[in-house]
Amino acid sequence: MKEKELFVDFKSHQAIYYVEKEDNSYEPIISGSQLSHDYLDDFYYKKNNLEGELREKIINNEISPIYYYMLLQEIGIGDLASRVGVSKRILKKHFKPDYFNKLSLHTLKKYATIFNVNITSFLQLIKDE
Amino acid sequence: MNKIIDFKHKMAAHCETGTLTSLLNHDGIEISESLVFGIANGIFFGYIESSNFPFPTIIVRSRPGQIRENIIKRLNVKFEKYKFKNIEKGEAKLDELIDKGIPTAVQVDFFYMDYMPDWQRVHINIHFIIIIGKKENKYIISDSYYSTITELDKIMMRKARWAGGYMAPKGFLYYSKNAPKTLDLTKPIIKGIKKACWSMLNIPIPFVGIKGIYKFAEKVKEWPSLARDTEHLSGEIMKINIFLEDQGTGGGGFRYMYATFLQQASNILQNSDLKDMSKRMMENGDEWRNISYFVAKIGKNRDLGADRLEELSLMIRKRGDEEKAFFNDLRKMV
Repeated sequence: MKEKELFVDFKSHQAIYYVEKEDNSYEPIISGSQLSHDYLDDFYYKKNNLEGELREKIINNEISPIYYYMLLQEIGIGDLASRVGVSKRILKKHFKPDYFNKLSLHTLKKYATIFNVNITSFLQLIKDE
Repeated sequence: MNKIIDFKHKMAAHCETGTLTSLLNHDGIEISESLVFGIANGIFFGYIESSNFPFPTIIVRSRPGQIRENIIKRLNVKFEKYKFKNIEKGEAKLDELIDKGIPTAVQVDFFYMDYMPDWQRVHINIHFIIIIGKKENKYIISDSYYSTITELDKIMMRKARWAGGYMAPKGFLYYSKNAPKTLDLTKPIIKGIKKACWSMLNIPIPFVGIKGIYKFAEKVKEWPSLARDTEHLSGEIMKINIFLEDQGTGGGGFRYMYATFLQQASNILQNSDLKDMSKRMMENGDEWRNISYFVAKIGKNRDLGADRLEELSLMIRKRGDEEKAFFNDLRKMV
């Protein structure tokens, strides 16, 4: 990739790219991210829509806040189960509102730490019903 | 404790090679990120389907930690490494090292690096940063993905270092010890090239190396059946761009960085054939970048029908053909 073909002016997301300089040497340079520059609006459009759909599912008592955060933060089921210290089978139960409502404070705290949210965020999502 | 170590912060394409390079540079060893990457045979390809990831994914570099292990073996440098079950002990060790003035690399879950923009922050347990100080309850950080020295709250650092799950960091930290003053790079470069060829051509696993590229070419056509809906598919298709360009590869899925390594190797080994190969790898990187542009475009336009995915599959397959020929040629030259 030629240096002049790369450069993107986008201060919010800068990264190192390896390019061919005018003297044919290959070197790292700092540039803005083309993807972030061109497609960030689309990323947020999709994310906001997904968040809206998931909120509605919580309101309709179809999913729990655990499923909501897992999808929004894009964590794999196996990874999340391991972080919480439960089997994938048990984790899938936590996606259901009935099981979620019976979770202990200790388990809810674990989820809150993983998702980096306050434990009241779970209750707030449900309260929005 | 208030302490800031005099440390030269430098951005890098990739966190693992960037961290290693910065620590070696701090100890007086003049070596570039691309040389570290090539010597450690970082170039790779894998197509992964696992419940540890929310969707099938590709990897374009070797297993996390392998670059460090290969550098230790091939450059004969020494790093002290520790893991901690006990959080208090792990924090105390880090504080002790900072107090002694030793820049220390730690493994973290990238999600908790709250100085990064939120759209980049994902749960991935294999990010590496260097701790260069502590000011009250904040750690001072040199992160190769961030343009300046920055800081992270102690509570966030704890979450990041002891995040559980897939490839859990377990408080892992390492630092350079007794670095040699001079290095002979000839043998390490040859070894790195040979191992890269072996990794891409000969690992007997059906989803890694060249076989992984072909697998990706076939499997991407099945992605519509795995996605929740078109919006989800669009997001996953556009992530191919992130994995190739934005997630610390230096562009072209590490292929541009590998081309840079080969150019440097050609100069060090006085081997003009390697210069030709570096040009070829640069062109290969351009084609991977074209795939990035293509997926971003079809993803944004929701133009994700069977014909488009067939077109994408063919572009990926061609990369498999080219890289198979490339690594077969490369191994004859060293």
